[in-house]
Amino acid sequence: MKKNYWSLSFQVTLTVITFAIIYLPILVILLMSIHGSQYNFEKFSFTLRWYQAIFTDRQLVDAIIVTLQIATLSTLLATTFGTLFAIGIHSLRKKGRLRMMVLNNMPVVNPDIVTGILMFMIFRFLRISFGFPTMLLAHVFFSIPFVILSVLPKLKQLDPNIFDAALDLGATKFQAIIKVILPSIKVGVIAGALIAFTMSIDDFIISYFMKQGEFHNVSTLIYSRLGKRQISPNIFAYNSLIVFLTIGIMVTFNRLNRNPKKIMEREKK
Amino acid sequence: MIWPYVIWLTIIILIPSLFIILATVSSFHIFNDYTFRFTTEFIRFLSDPIFLNAFKNSIKYAGLTTMICLLIGYPVAYFFANIKSKNKTLYIALLIVPIWSNMIVRIIAWENVFKPVSIINLFNLSFDLIGYDVAIIIAMVSMYLPFMIFPIYAVLDKMDHKLIEAAHDLGAGDFQTFYKVTFPLSLGGIVSGIIMTLLPAMTAFALPERIGGGKVILLGNLIEKQIFRGSFNIAATVSLVVMMVMLGLFALIVHFDKEGETLL
Repeated sequence: MKKNYWSLSFQVTLTVITFAIIYLPILVILLMSIHGSQYNFEKFSFTLRWYQAIFTDRQLVDAIIVTLQIATLSTLLATTFGTLFAIGIHSLRKKGRLRMMVLNNMPVVNPDIVTGILMFMIFRFLRISFGFPTMLLAHVFFSIPFVILSVLPKLKQLDPNIFDAALDLGATKFQAIIKVILPSIKVGVIAGALIAFTMSIDDFIISYFMKQGEFHNVSTLIYSRLGKRQISPNIFAYNSLIVFLTIGIMVTFNRLNRNPKKIMEREKK
Repeated sequence: MIWPYVIWLTIIILIPSLFIILATVSSFHIFNDYTFRFTTEFIRFLSDPIFLNAFKNSIKYAGLTTMICLLIGYPVAYFFANIKSKNKTLYIALLIVPIWSNMIVRIIAWENVFKPVSIINLFNLSFDLIGYDVAIIIAMVSMYLPFMIFPIYAVLDKMDHKLIEAAHDLGAGDFQTFYKVTFPLSLGGIVSGIIMTLLPAMTAFALPERIGGGKVILLGNLIEKQIFRGSFNIAATVSLVVMMVMLGLFALIVHFDKEGETLL
């Protein structure tokens, strides 16, 4: 047992280090968002004015709106198409399925900068001008493979006869997908949508290749201001708000998810 | 429902990949003319000190980062896979929260930590580490560590615990069980984790630019600088090098995990 104790404390130490190293920047950002001065760090002075300054910064507000619009639309599109493609891939025989998965996983592994360049080139070649539509298309593109990866395992857990049973009972193919398959793979679809949304809201590198002139999402706006030395702490305020929001959502989800389980456990007893 | 996806992937991946190859071996230029005068200019560039230096830096920083991430990440993933708490999902979710926070803003935060005059002066701390290896590697580990933990956690969590009990029953000690059962079974996760850390780190450009104080050039910086402010053909050549590295590593993933279950 003694050896186990050492191994466990080793794991705990590294877990603490992990949380420290990934949360340190978050805490630094939080601190900068409530400190009164941008240049004077001798004495701490509390302020909330940077939070107010988010809303008076027209360019930042626009960029936030663009980011949210693109994240919402690309999540909707990528989830719809990804789920359909996953159902299609699942219906293939083993060999075809493996081949499709290799093709599907390529963009997942591909470094963002290469994906960015590839998309930049094809849009440039097709003479499509850069802006909202290209950024949206790019985000749909890099989200779909993740939706497929998240939906496919749920499809595998499905009884293979369930689709045929629905058809035998007189459902059309479309009805069978909507009424039988979709409800059974709901968890995978929701997880896929969440991943797509996360990836879109946080993307910098691919968006960087899709922007044009003064059209920015939050990441590219911050990067361009960074280059011009125009960073104002309202960006830290915005970022802290996002972090609070995420933690809030996750804790709520955790509560909601726990309750049905508890009820089920009680029933078992 | 497969063909639209195949066509879509072809348009977005395959065709521009051909452009990249064309632009490497010829004067093909996407911005203005579509001429195809074949050149061997890229061979000269591949032995140019600018390229060699960026390549060496990429291997060095990304390699070290990946190694540290694996050494920290594996025990952490193991820990998370074995805790029995009803809040387990919440703890995992807490690893995701920092990823939701904008990457560029997190880079700015690290830049502030490592420059002499910054918010951490409030705690009477001051570092002057911009441009130093240690700063770049700490920042990189902070960015990419979760991507090492998730795939390893995924395989360890799914692993059948009866196998471990069986190993113990058959007389294997803790270390032997880990070495002969747990570790080989988690190899797929390790490979995915390594690739999900190594490739983004190799091609990062905002992080080395900010934390490196503009002096440290990685392959990503080279591509970004060349495509917008330099030679398109050089950018294509560097991209091709990155893509070859990617394909080599991708073959490894396909070998260990055919359906890519650890990529999520």
